[in-house]
Amino acid sequence: MPKPLVDFGNKPMILHQIEALKAAGVSEVVLAINQQQPELMLNFVKEYEKKLEIKITFSQETEPLGTAGPLALARDKLLDESGQPFFVLNSDVICEYPLLEMIEFHKTNCAEASIMVTKVDDPSKYGVVVTEEATSRVESFVEKPNHFVGNKINAGIYLLNPSVLERIELRRTSIEKEIFPKIASEKKLYAMVLPGFWMDIGQPKDYITGQRMYLNSLREKSSQELVTGDDNIIGNVVVDESAAIGEGCLIGPDVVIGPGCVIDSGVRLFGCTVMRGVRIKEHACISNSIVGWDSTVGKWARVVNVTVLGNDVHVADAEVYNSGAVIEEQGL
Amino acid sequence: MKALILVGGFGTRLRPLTFSMPKPLVDFGNKPMILHQIEALKAAGVSEVVLAINQQQPELMLNFVKEYEKKLEIKITFSQETEPLGTAGPLALARDKLLDESGQPFFVLNSDVICEYPLLEMIEFHKTNCAEASIMVTKVDDPSKYGVVVTEEATSRVESFVEKPNHFVGNKINAGIYLLNPSVLERIELRRTSIEKEIFPKIASEKKLYAMVLPGFWMDIGQPKDYITGQRMYLNSLREKSSQELVTGDDNIIGNVVVDESAAIGEGCLIGPDVVIGPGCVIDSGVRLFGCTVMRGVRIKEHACISNSIVGWDSTVGKWARVVNVTVLGNDVHVADAEVYNSGAVIEEQGL
Repeated sequence: MPKPLVDFGNKPMILHQIEALKAAGVSEVVLAINQQQPELMLNFVKEYEKKLEIKITFSQETEPLGTAGPLALARDKLLDESGQPFFVLNSDVICEYPLLEMIEFHKTNCAEASIMVTKVDDPSKYGVVVTEEATSRVESFVEKPNHFVGNKINAGIYLLNPSVLERIELRRTSIEKEIFPKIASEKKLYAMVLPGFWMDIGQPKDYITGQRMYLNSLREKSSQELVTGDDNIIGNVVVDESAAIGEGCLIGPDVVIGPGCVIDSGVRLFGCTVMRGVRIKEHACISNSIVGWDSTVGKWARVVNVTVLGNDVHVADAEVYNSGAVIEEQGL
Repeated sequence: MKALILVGGFGTRLRPLTFSMPKPLVDFGNKPMILHQIEALKAAGVSEVVLAINQQQPELMLNFVKEYEKKLEIKITFSQETEPLGTAGPLALARDKLLDESGQPFFVLNSDVICEYPLLEMIEFHKTNCAEASIMVTKVDDPSKYGVVVTEEATSRVESFVEKPNHFVGNKINAGIYLLNPSVLERIELRRTSIEKEIFPKIASEKKLYAMVLPGFWMDIGQPKDYITGQRMYLNSLREKSSQELVTGDDNIIGNVVVDESAAIGEGCLIGPDVVIGPGCVIDSGVRLFGCTVMRGVRIKEHACISNSIVGWDSTVGKWARVVNVTVLGNDVHVADAEVYNSGAVIEEQGL
C-alpha cells in the first residue's frame, strides 16, 4: 500500500488532509511525488475527485528537489489569477487542521508566509521556531538547539503567498533552511500555534500515539464516531459497522477496528489498530501494535509492544510477537 | 540396605523457586523432587537413606523428613559436611551410617536426577557381574559436553572415563546412580575427592567397575529448561507405566497431563500436552497451558496462556497474560493482566 493510502482511523492517511483542505475552500490539490504512482493511488484519486468534488493532480520530480524545490516544479498549478495564497502540507502529519483559522491569521498579519507551529516537551531534537511573543512574527529558526530557545517546532503546515514562489529556484532547496529564514529576515513570516494535537505518524510508535490523540480529539469534537454503551468497550474506540465482535471481549482504550474484521470471543485489544479484513481468534491479546489488512491472529496469541503485522500475516496459536515488523513469508 | 543422596549445592539455577523452598523439596510431577528418589529406594529394599548436605537444613526439610520417615517406614538421616568434600568425600564422612553388619552394597544417588530408577535390576546386575562398584549410564546424542564412560561391549565392564571428548569415543555418560560395595569406602579419604576422577578410574583399572545402561528416560532437572524437558519425559513414562495418573476423557485436555484432584479447571480451556497442575490451583475459563508446571495454590485468570514455563506456588497470572519460553515465576508472583513474560526468573518485589 502506498504510504498516503495506509489507513489511519479507518480512513486513508491522505484523505484526512484532503478533506480538511476541501473544508477550508481548496478546489485543487497537487500531490508532489517522486515516483510513478501505483494503480491503487490513481484509483483513489479518481474516486475522491468525484466524491469530494475537488481536483487532484500530480507533480512528479525526476531528481531530488528537497522541501522547497517541489513548489517551484508545481508553480503553474499553484498560481492562479486570483492571487490567493496556497497551502503546503507534509503528508505524515495528523492534527485538527484548523485551516480556516490559519487563513484568518495570515490575512490579519499581512504575512507573506504563515507556518503552523506546535509545542513539544523536548525541542532539542527538532528545528525550533523562535517568535516575537506579541506579534507571532518569526524571528529565527534554530536547528536542534542545545540550550533552551523555545519549545515551538515547525508542524509542517504552511500558507504561502504566490510571491514565495519567486524566491524558490528549481533545484534541491530546503524550505526551512533557505526560504523561510530569508522571509523571516524581511519580517514577513508569521507562526500560528496549532491548537489541539499534532503528530508525525510516519513511524509505528508515533502512529499508535497519534491514534490515541486522534481518538481523544474525536471524543471532544465528534463523539458519535466512537462506540458507546457497550460493556465490552472501554475508553475511545472506533469500530467499523461491518466488523463483528464476539462475547467476553475487552476492547479499548484507544482501538480502531476496520471494515469486515472478525473478533472472536474473549479477545483483549488496547492501543492498537486492526485493519480491514483481519480475523482475531479467541483469547488473543493485542496491544500497542498494528495488524495489517487481512491478517489472522491465532488463539491465545500475543502481539505486543509496537509490533507491525503486514498484509495477510498469519500469527499461529499461542505465538508471541514482541515489537518489530512481520511480513508473510512467501514460497516456503 | 542403605543409600546416600548427594544433596549439595545451593539451588542457584532453580531460583527463584529455591528462594522459598530447599531444592530437594521443589515439586516435580506434583511430588517433592527427592521423594521420587526416596520412594524408589524404598521399593528396592533400602531401609535407611542418608542425605549428604552442606548446610543447616531449614525447618521445611526437617518436617519433610519426619513426615516421610513415618509414611514410608524408612529411616532418613543427615550427614553434614563442614568443608567441601567433592563428590566422593561425603561418602567417607557418612561411613558409619553406610556400613552395617550385613556387608551389603549401598546406593549413591545425585539429587537432581530423574529417571525410572530400575534399582532392583541394578542390584541383580551388580551381583551377576561380581562388581565392586556399578554405575548407571545413559545414552545421549551429544556426548562431547559430558564425561563419557567407555565400556567393554560384551561384559559391560568399564574400561575408562573420558571427560568431554573431542572425538567420538562412545555415547554413554554417567547417569549419577551408583551401587557400591562397602570396600569402596576404604578407597575414599576424608578430604575433597572426585568420585569420577579419582575413585572410579582406580576401580576400573582393577577391572571391578561395571556400567549398566539405564532403560527409559533420564534428565538432570537442576535447571529450568531441563526441568521442563524432564517433565515431558516423566509424563511420557507415566503414560507407559502408570497411565491412571494422567487425565483422560476430558475434551479440554490433550496429551499427557497430570491434574491434582483438588484443582479446578474452567470451561473452554485447552490444557496440554505436558502439563502438571498442583493442589488447590484454580484455572479460569479460556486458559491455554502447554509444556508447563503449575505449582500448588496458583490462580490463572481467563484467557491467559502459559507455555514451557514454571509457575511457582501461590502465584497469580492475570487475564490475557502470556508466560512463555522457560520463564520461572517464583513464590507468590503476581502477573498483571495482559503482561508478557518471555524467559527469565521472576520474583515478587518486596516492600515497594
